[in-house]
Amino acid sequence: MKLDMHCEMILDEYRDRLPVLNKMKEVVLDILRRTLKENNMVVTAIEGRVKTEKSLTGKLELKGNKYHTIDDITDIVGVRIITFFSDEVDKIAALVEQMFEIDWDNSVDKRKMLEIDRFGYMSLHYICRIPKSLYEDPQQPLLNEMRFELQMRTALQHVWANMQHDTGYKSEVEIPMEHQRSLNRLAGILELADEQFSRIRKEINDYRRNVQSLVASGNFDEVPLNGDTFRSYCELHPFRRLAVKIATINQAELYEDSPMPYYKILLHLNMKTIGDVERMRTECSDGAYQLALIQLAGTGLDIVAYSVALQNLCIVKILKLGFGVAGLTSMFDAIYGESTYNAQRADRIYQQAVRANLV
Amino acid sequence: MDITIKNEGEKTFVTLNGRLDTTNADQFQADIQPLMTSPKPDIDIDCTGMTYTSSQGLRIFLSLQKSVLARGGKMVMLNMNPQVKEVFDITGFSNIIAIR
Repeated sequence: MKLDMHCEMILDEYRDRLPVLNKMKEVVLDILRRTLKENNMVVTAIEGRVKTEKSLTGKLELKGNKYHTIDDITDIVGVRIITFFSDEVDKIAALVEQMFEIDWDNSVDKRKMLEIDRFGYMSLHYICRIPKSLYEDPQQPLLNEMRFELQMRTALQHVWANMQHDTGYKSEVEIPMEHQRSLNRLAGILELADEQFSRIRKEINDYRRNVQSLVASGNFDEVPLNGDTFRSYCELHPFRRLAVKIATINQAELYEDSPMPYYKILLHLNMKTIGDVERMRTECSDGAYQLALIQLAGTGLDIVAYSVALQNLCIVKILKLGFGVAGLTSMFDAIYGESTYNAQRADRIYQQAVRANLV
Repeated sequence: MDITIKNEGEKTFVTLNGRLDTTNADQFQADIQPLMTSPKPDIDIDCTGMTYTSSQGLRIFLSLQKSVLARGGKMVMLNMNPQVKEVFDITGFSNIIAIR
């Protein structure tokens, strides 16, 4: 289909503006990436495109008479932010509203356009301008005058929109009714999944906050031992005093590493609460230090890892429980994987423990 | 301390022989410098012939591993003799450095 003269003029204008349009896309992407990073927001993707000449021609063929000038076409530059969770769409929209000038008359929240008994395309579309306060290039004033479209949707909404687009139909009106019904049914499932993901994340966050306050309260016997509670406990640096004492043996540097690998050893030792870990810490600290003294004194090694404190605590606990060389070997097998060296190491440590009167 | 570095395909094989201590730590650091820059490195360090490492050696291995991980790569130390392994064990470095 041949375009009329009016549409050809719009197309010419598009060709002239192409460098500015590309620049605009890059500026917007850069601003968004920076802002999301500054606000610690992680998203699935930020993507942008400038409409191709072919695509614009198609649009003009369909509804060219709707546009007086190229400035009436607001989606030549399009940027999309795809989030993991549905509640993040609103958070990002709030940030976008603070950053860009929003053309509210042309912006649509497709999430609110659907009737309560209908399911389908869910996305938030803002038509925006870049304010001069955010970016200005005196050589390219159009950058602040032209509008662009910013879409915000979840990954699942994105999947649905892409699947619908992949059918080859430009509008849902054209899709045969039975297929449209199937697509809409799927939209309902994905909307439900989005809601469930957000709910589950909220519950996990609530649980973690609850655990953190329980651990911080110091009522350790009331706190069951699991990965989350142990991590919260470790944030209180319970092994620091012992680690510093061990480092002092050689006036060593203390290297901060994570004691988390020893969590599974605590489970092997049948510990049920953070209180059990705390008791091990208080009951075995002297032994753990004595062991480190025998191992490190005179070696001149002037760097030790923070985790060595918990490592030695576990060793002393195992020996106190009477598990001996076999118990130590099991511990090293669990931490480092099975090897014949673990038994040799266990035997050596057992001898050192005998010298330190730990067994 | 003798060091040889060989690249085979995308993998780098480092072989260490002798003692790593204050007398040669600077030279060792300089020798492994090329490993600090390659993108997405995959490094095997064969320690069969290494007889000792001081804490300076531990620091160098630590900074090498940090640098490798920061570039999305991996590094593993292999075939340590018991004397060298003990240094890693009693300092807690066995919990930090990948050893096989």
